[in-house]
Amino acid sequence: MANKKKIPPIKTLRYKKGDLIFKEGDYGISMYKIVMGKVHIFKESGDREVSLAILGPGEIIGEMTFLSGPNVPRSASAKALEDSNLEVWHFSRLRKEYEEMPPILKVMATQTLERLIRTNNILVNLDVKRSKTENPENTDLRASQRRFYRKKVDLECIYRSTKSRPNACLKGRIKDISLNGMGLEVSAKNGCHSFYKPGEAFVINTVLPNGRNLEVTATVKSVGENGTPGRLSMGMCFTDTPVWVKERLGFFMMS
Amino acid sequence: MNDNQLLWAYVAREEDYPEDATIIKEGSWGDWAYVLLEGRAKVTKKTRDGTLTLGTLEAGAVFGEVGFFEVNGGTRSASVIASNGPVRVGVLDSHLLRKDYEALSLELKELLKALVVRLKKSTERLCFFNQTSN
Repeated sequence: MANKKKIPPIKTLRYKKGDLIFKEGDYGISMYKIVMGKVHIFKESGDREVSLAILGPGEIIGEMTFLSGPNVPRSASAKALEDSNLEVWHFSRLRKEYEEMPPILKVMATQTLERLIRTNNILVNLDVKRSKTENPENTDLRASQRRFYRKKVDLECIYRSTKSRPNACLKGRIKDISLNGMGLEVSAKNGCHSFYKPGEAFVINTVLPNGRNLEVTATVKSVGENGTPGRLSMGMCFTDTPVWVKERLGFFMMS
Repeated sequence: MNDNQLLWAYVAREEDYPEDATIIKEGSWGDWAYVLLEGRAKVTKKTRDGTLTLGTLEAGAVFGEVGFFEVNGGTRSASVIASNGPVRVGVLDSHLLRKDYEALSLELKELLKALVVRLKKSTERLCFFNQTSN
């Protein structure tokens, strides 16, 4: 019992949105349980952040370092995506119990850890490979990123030309979306055809499947018939996207 | 006692599969885990663009942990298929294994489950990335 008194009690720490909780390569003595908020787990590869997971309340972070042992540094970084409260679990609290747990559970934990490390490494390699092959000269970063992370959707939206009055809204459908742009399908009958040409800009409003509103400004990059009579498909790139919109989109892209 | 002897103590039943037979089917229900006793098996997952092989299992590998820890609503998150010849697996005694697991502290139970959840999430990201890069 005397030993137990030396074990630090569980503490809760508060992190502000954007705070780094731990950094890849650091040596840690704790893991954390998310009580409130959202945490982004990522690995760094050059100047890129490769996202591994977004975790929320009830989930645990920093567990890989505990399981890998005291001489192994953090394999990924963790950052608060919103104001977050985390319960701190010092490794010392669980070390003895972990060492004494039934060996079969340890075998399962070790094998799961190995698979997780392997999967995360593949994710990083895939990301590096993709950035090299798809974007060799870094010329049109927006357009190439749009190819990487495009997600198929079918969302109703309202849109208006940036040249129109704010209430001159038309209905369209978003067919795919990425962090940097979208594919917008509209009726060819919707107003004046001169709207629908590269270089024109639109303000687009929609509600994402997760219930969050989204308002973006986007410039037309390409226009084409999409096979459905009377419908036009436009490839659009976002312009001047505020940070909150990027984050909201980022959440949706990873969900 | 080495790892293999230790796993044997938990084997409730042995099953044999011919080459290419499905041991675990993705999406099916199952809350038990297996140990690969002989042969090799591949782990696959369906993506929008086809089936992706996630890895190969060899003798001594414990699999079916996502089902055992019920992190996917009790359904299997990937398929396991006998490859390169016949395979013998041991079905681990769920009752015994769960008794061991339930005896752990709440923190340690959460920790083990968290690890399996992380593997599942990373695997899903891998499938997502794989299909967007094709």
